[in-house]
Amino acid sequence: MTFLNKMKTTELPKAAATAVAQSTGARPWKNVADPMLLLIVACFFTPLFLSQGGVSNLAYCLIWTFAAIGLASMWGFGGILSFGQTAFFGLAGYCYGVFTINFGDSPLSTWAGVLSGLLLCMVLAALLGYMIFYGGIKDVFIGIVTLSVTLVFETFMAQTAGPKWAIGAARLNGFNGMSAMPSLSLPGAGAEHILLEGNYFLFTVLVLLVIVYVATKKLLSSSFGLTLEAIRENPHRAEMLGIDIRRYQLLIFIFGSTLAGLSGILYTAWGSYITPSSMGLTASAMPIIWVATGGRRSLAGAIIATVALLDLSQELVVYGSQYALVLMGFILLVVVMLMPAGVLPTLKTMFFRQ
Amino acid sequence: MDCPGATFSKGLAMTLLTTVYSFLYQFGDSFAYLTLSALGLAVIFGMMGVINLAHGEFVMCGAYVTILTAKAGVPLPLAMLTGALAAACVGAILEYLVVRHLYNRLFDSIVATWAVSLITQQAMLIFAGPSIEGLSTPFNSFELGDYSFSTYRALLPFFAIAVLAGLYLLFFRTNYGVYARATIQNAQMAKCLGLRTPRIYSMTFALGAGLAGLAGALYAPTITAVPTMGSSFIVPAFVTVVTGGANVLLGVLPAAGFLGLIQSGMTAAFGQLAGQIGLLITVIFVIRLLPMGMGHLFNRR
Amino acid sequence: MTVILETRDLSKRFGGAQVVDGINFRIEKGDTRCVIGPNGAGKSTFFKLLIGEHKPTRGQVFFKGQNISELLPHQRVTMGMSIKFQVPGIFPGLSVEEHLTLVLQRVPRFAGLQEEMCVILDDFYLRDERKVKAGNLPHGKKQWLEIAMALALRPDVLLLDEPVAGLSDEETRETGDLINKLKRKGITMMVVEHDMEFVRQVATQVTVLHGGRVFAEGPLKDVLEREDVVEIYLGKR
Repeated sequence: MTFLNKMKTTELPKAAATAVAQSTGARPWKNVADPMLLLIVACFFTPLFLSQGGVSNLAYCLIWTFAAIGLASMWGFGGILSFGQTAFFGLAGYCYGVFTINFGDSPLSTWAGVLSGLLLCMVLAALLGYMIFYGGIKDVFIGIVTLSVTLVFETFMAQTAGPKWAIGAARLNGFNGMSAMPSLSLPGAGAEHILLEGNYFLFTVLVLLVIVYVATKKLLSSSFGLTLEAIRENPHRAEMLGIDIRRYQLLIFIFGSTLAGLSGILYTAWGSYITPSSMGLTASAMPIIWVATGGRRSLAGAIIATVALLDLSQELVVYGSQYALVLMGFILLVVVMLMPAGVLPTLKTMFFRQ
Repeated sequence: MDCPGATFSKGLAMTLLTTVYSFLYQFGDSFAYLTLSALGLAVIFGMMGVINLAHGEFVMCGAYVTILTAKAGVPLPLAMLTGALAAACVGAILEYLVVRHLYNRLFDSIVATWAVSLITQQAMLIFAGPSIEGLSTPFNSFELGDYSFSTYRALLPFFAIAVLAGLYLLFFRTNYGVYARATIQNAQMAKCLGLRTPRIYSMTFALGAGLAGLAGALYAPTITAVPTMGSSFIVPAFVTVVTGGANVLLGVLPAAGFLGLIQSGMTAAFGQLAGQIGLLITVIFVIRLLPMGMGHLFNRR
Repeated sequence: MTVILETRDLSKRFGGAQVVDGINFRIEKGDTRCVIGPNGAGKSTFFKLLIGEHKPTRGQVFFKGQNISELLPHQRVTMGMSIKFQVPGIFPGLSVEEHLTLVLQRVPRFAGLQEEMCVILDDFYLRDERKVKAGNLPHGKKQWLEIAMALALRPDVLLLDEPVAGLSDEETRETGDLINKLKRKGITMMVVEHDMEFVRQVATQVTVLHGGRVFAEGPLKDVLEREDVVEIYLGKR
C-alpha cells in the first residue's frame, strides 16, 4: 500500500496545518543519561572542596551561561545572530536594581524584582523582534540593528548621571552605575530572611541552570526546534511549506533574549551593582566568543565554553584586563577561521573519526 | 555718524550670520566626520560585501603613524600621507591573512574582523600605553561675531568632498577603477575576462584601509590619540555605510548629509551623547524602511 | 468540473516593462496544466504571482473560490497550495528523515508519523538515504525529496516550476511517470516547463504564454500542433 494510493486530496484544515502535532520529533531526546546534566548536578557538591572564593568564582561564571544558552538557541538553531544579549542583560539588571531598591529586600520583593526584569525583557524583545522579523529585516542587518540597540542603551544609560535621573528611590548614576541593591532571599523560619549568598547563591544558580537546560533541550528537540532549524537552513523553502517563519523567529528571539536578562538579574543580585559598560561594544562580543568557541549548535558546548573562558579571563585579569581580552580575541579569531563549528564539536568529530 | 537704526540692523545681521554659520559649521563638522569615517568601510563593503569591523583600528593606525612621523620632524601633510599608506599596508596584510579566506562567509568575516579589532585595541593598550602626546591643530582659529571657529575643522568638509571627488576619478577614470567596477558588478564574468579578482580584492581592501588611515591622519591634529579611538569612528562609519547602501559614491554623500543634519541637530539640542543616540536610532529606522540603503534610491533603473 | 485556481486580468509591471498582461487563467480540479512559452514570455513572473512572491499591479488570484491576492506565500500554502521551485529547495543540514518529519508533523495523518514516513521513503526511492544530510544528496535525489515533501503536505494543487531542469533523460522520464501516477490519483497540477518531451509526457491541457499574454490554450495535442505556436518558438519559416 503505497503513500500515493492512500493519499486523498482532502482539504487541509487551517487548524491542523498550523497545529504542532503530537509527534516526538525526528530526534527523540534521552532524558536520563545526559552527561551535561550530570555535570551540572555534580557542581552541587563543589562547596565540599572549593574555598569560598572558588565557589564565588564558579557562581560568577555560571551566571553567564543563561545568556550563552539563549544565544546558542537563537544563533545555532535559529540562525539569528543577535548582538543584543548584553542589552537585555543590562536592562534586566537595572530593572532588578530599580525594583528592589524601591521595594526593599524582602524575599517577595527580590523575587518580584526578578520577575519584573524577565517581564521587561520579554516585552522589549517582543517589540524589537516584531520590528525586525515582521519588518523584513534579514541576515546581517539583524546583527546591525541589535548592535545599534545595544549601543543606544549603553550610550543612554551612560549619560544618566545626576539626581534627576532616578526612578523612585533608585538613581541611575550614569557611568558609575547602580549599586547597593539587595541580594535574593528566601523566607526564613522566623523574622530573618535566608540570604541567597555564597553557597546558597551557587545552589540557586545551579537549580535555575538545570531548569533552563532541560527546558531548552526539550524545546529544541521538539517539532518547534525542527521547524526552527529548517528556517535556519533555508528560510525561503520553509516559507513555501506553509511555515510562518516570522513567528518562529520572533518566539526564539524572545526566548533567547529573556535568558540573557536572567543572566543580568543574577549578576546584579550577586555583585550588587550594574553599570553601562556591561552593555558596551566589547561586552557584547563576549557571549559571541563563548558560543562560537563552544559550538553554537551545542548547548553543553555553550555552557562549558562560557565557564572555561570566563574562568580563564578572570585569571588573566590579575595581570591586566587587556591580556584577557587579547586572548579572547585570538581565541575567537582562531575558532572562526579554523574551527567554525566550534572547538568542542570539531574535537568530537576528530575523535570519532579515529 | 551712524543712525541708531543702521547699528541695530547691522547687529541683527551679524547675529543672524553668526547663528547660521554656526549651524553650518556644526553640520559641516558632522558631515566631514561621517564621510571620512565611512569611506574606507564603504569601499570594502560595496566591493566585497565584507563589513570590516577592524575599520576603526585602521583609523587609529593612520592617526598614530601620522603623529609619530610628524613628531620626528616630517612636515604634516607628508606625515598624513605616511599614515594613510601605513594603514593601507596593514590592510593588505590583514586581507591576505584573514579576510581572503572568508569571502563567502559573510557572518564569519564580521566576527573575525571584530576579533582582530579587539586584539589590536588591547595589544596597543599594552604596548603603547593609554595615550600618546598629540599634535597641535594647524591654522589656529578665526572669529565671527562672538564665536571663534577652528579654521582646520572648518576646512575638513571640503577635504572630505575632495577625497570623494578623488575616489570618483579613481573609479571612473582609471584602469583600476574599471576593473574594480566590473568585479563589483559581476565577479564571475570579470574572472572569465581575465581579471585577476583576488588581486583586485586585495587592492580594494588596501584602498579601504588607506582611506580609513587617511581619516585618522586628518583628524590626528584635532583629537587625543588613544588606542581605543577606533571605537569612536566605527559607529559613525557603519551607520553611514548602512544608511547609504552598497553603492559607495551614490550612497555615502546623501547618507552623510542626512545623518550629519540629525547628529548636529541632536547635539545642539541635547548634547553629544544625544547626537550619538540620534545616529543609532536613525540607522535602525533606515534599515527598517529602506533595506537597500539610500544609494539605491538614486540608482533605480 | 470545479475550478480550483483562477486568475482574472492578472498583470504585473516592472518599471517600464509590462511583464504579465491581463492573464485570465483557469485550472480545473484534476487537470495537469503545463504552462509553456519562449524565453521572456513571463512564465516565471506568472508563477510568482500565483504563489504570492510578487504583488500584482492589476487583477486577482482566486484559489478554491477565495480571493487570495493579498495573502502571503505561507498563507497560500496553508490553504492547500504546494510549491516546488526549479532550484532544489532542501535543508542542507537536515537529514532526509528530518525533512519528512518536518512536513508530516504539520498535517493530519492516516497513521503514525513513522509509518507514513516509511511509506513515503519507499515510494520515492529514498529508503537508503534516510539518515543522509540532504546537502550531500545527488541533484536528482534532492529534486525527488523536494517533490516528496511537497506531496506530503496533501495539497489541493501542486505548482511545479521547471521540475526536470538539470535532470538526465532517464530521470526526466521517471519524473514524468511519477507525475502521471499523481494525475491518476486525481491531484491537480500546474507545471511551468521548457522541456517539450516532458510536457508531451504529462500534460492534459497546455497554456502558451507569449509577451506576457495567453497566446494559446487547450488540450495538449491541439495546441502543440498549431503553426503559430511553433512559430513563436522557432521563428517564421
